[in-house]
Amino acid sequence: MIYRKLPAGVQDVLPRECRILTDIKERLQKKFTVSGYRPVLSAALEYYDTYSKIRNAVPQEHLFKLSDTDGNLIVLRPDMTLSISRIAATKLGETRTRLCYFADKWDLKSAGGITSREIYQAGVECLGEEGAFSDAQAIAFAIECLKETGLKDFVVDIGHVGYFKGVTRACGLDEDRAEELRGYINAKDSLNAERLLSGSGAKKSAAAVVGALPSLFGGAEVLGRAYALTEDELARSAVLHLKEVNELLCRMGYETYICFDLGTVKKLSYYSGVIFSGLVKELGAPVMSGGRYDNLADDFGKHIPAVGFAMGLKRILVALERQGSLPAEEDVPVIVCGEGSEELGYREFLGRTARGERVRLSDLTGEEGAKRERAAGHAVIYVTGEEK
Amino acid sequence: MIYFALAKGRLAEESAKLLGRCGVDVSVLSQDTRKLVLKSADGAFGFFLVKPSDVPIYVESGVADLGIVGKDTLLEENRELYELLDLGFGQCRMCLAGYPERKDVLTSPNLRVATKYVNTARRLFEGRGEEAEIIPLHGSIELAPVTGLSDVIFDVVQTGSTLKANGLVVLEEVFTHITARLVANKVSLKLNKEILPLVEKIGENL
Repeated sequence: MIYRKLPAGVQDVLPRECRILTDIKERLQKKFTVSGYRPVLSAALEYYDTYSKIRNAVPQEHLFKLSDTDGNLIVLRPDMTLSISRIAATKLGETRTRLCYFADKWDLKSAGGITSREIYQAGVECLGEEGAFSDAQAIAFAIECLKETGLKDFVVDIGHVGYFKGVTRACGLDEDRAEELRGYINAKDSLNAERLLSGSGAKKSAAAVVGALPSLFGGAEVLGRAYALTEDELARSAVLHLKEVNELLCRMGYETYICFDLGTVKKLSYYSGVIFSGLVKELGAPVMSGGRYDNLADDFGKHIPAVGFAMGLKRILVALERQGSLPAEEDVPVIVCGEGSEELGYREFLGRTARGERVRLSDLTGEEGAKRERAAGHAVIYVTGEEK
Repeated sequence: MIYFALAKGRLAEESAKLLGRCGVDVSVLSQDTRKLVLKSADGAFGFFLVKPSDVPIYVESGVADLGIVGKDTLLEENRELYELLDLGFGQCRMCLAGYPERKDVLTSPNLRVATKYVNTARRLFEGRGEEAEIIPLHGSIELAPVTGLSDVIFDVVQTGSTLKANGLVVLEEVFTHITARLVANKVSLKLNKEILPLVEKIGENL
């Protein structure tokens, strides 16, 4: 009996849901292709060591592990950006390229609530690119893609890891303390952040900036506030970069889609510059997430600055449903052949599908078959050679 | 419209008082009703009264925009949300407690710890590199050492009178500043423009 069930944290996608998911995928696929992104598929299985030997590894409690026949430990792909970075650094001659993918990734730990252990993503990676215009383009493309999925009223929240790095290095924290602080800042928990800083003997002026981090979010005006708060060079250059990105995005016509948060510090440590996520009111978690990761490929043997993002397609589906934007299920008309006119019906079927019409050829024939199809609620196209 | 998830029990009353001071119409909260979703008369606020340990998941998922819940629950649930304000009330400590004469058991291997804060206890002992057998319970934690089910307990202590009545003492104060906190959903805080002004108001009215 138990073998009919699924393990925790994974779901089957049933036809009605899958139809819409496939529609979204097809639209995004087209968008990616016409915008110059080349598709890539990475292997779902990789060596555990690939991930344990690099600096920006996914923590091992998040990895689905299996033992290979030779005893080597292998994992189910935990992150697409890592895989693409590996492919680009080790297999592509030309590393200045734009790639896109549709793929599952697996997370052993997340289960329950709005997180799943099997996460279906659509994403793009712009490899070998640097600068504010590259960042602005990635964000603009993310906005266009979210529009393409049919989402309404979303915003893209933009931050920069350099700001956090800059203001915390001024506090002189060791790695463990900095990581603990990152957790507090990410939770906008200024109380514990202050407690940690006062306990570690950080300078008052430096600690004050960190204390302000959780409130540094809102429109483009926070950039001015953030700049004035710190004298750290790294932090200031992060703000200046964001200003440039903001200006570009405004000139490109995306002013109403963006906001800023300098207190976002993502868990995945490979991000090195701009980070951003797509938010909709109807869903308590981001539907899109991305950022710049200039040093990730270094661990795979090549320096490839890059920026990219991924969309969680099932989260988008949930958000669309909550926004009331899911299309109604459409009935596919059915061709029923008259007795002895099977070849005529089949030709009709071929003709219509060649023209791109959605139609189904029934296995039932004759008046009786047509009756049964109508009774099941389908529009019937009756094809017969007989004179009426 | 702002939805609140409030922890039923000792925090709910204080929470209602605080929100009342901030101009939130909380009269609906004092009604004797079995309804689970309560809406203020002006339609500006909705309230879910839930078990304290359920507040974080309601807020993380965005079903509730804001929540009021104890820091002990936040530590235990460890959810993705914003912890915005220390509300000051519901003050207590999280302690290891047991018999005074068996104090040395704290350092013996495989200490048996009874608690309803299973995750917090596990992290605590893992962080110290100590091995402990966590015994999950849902209530009357003090009974565990008294009956020999566990060596010690890990629980919140407010006045310590239950401990005292059962001959137990606090062996170690692990977290001293446990209070009610105002938490927010990560997306709501940014997209629902009514939330930030309310949070500021709550901060001023503490």
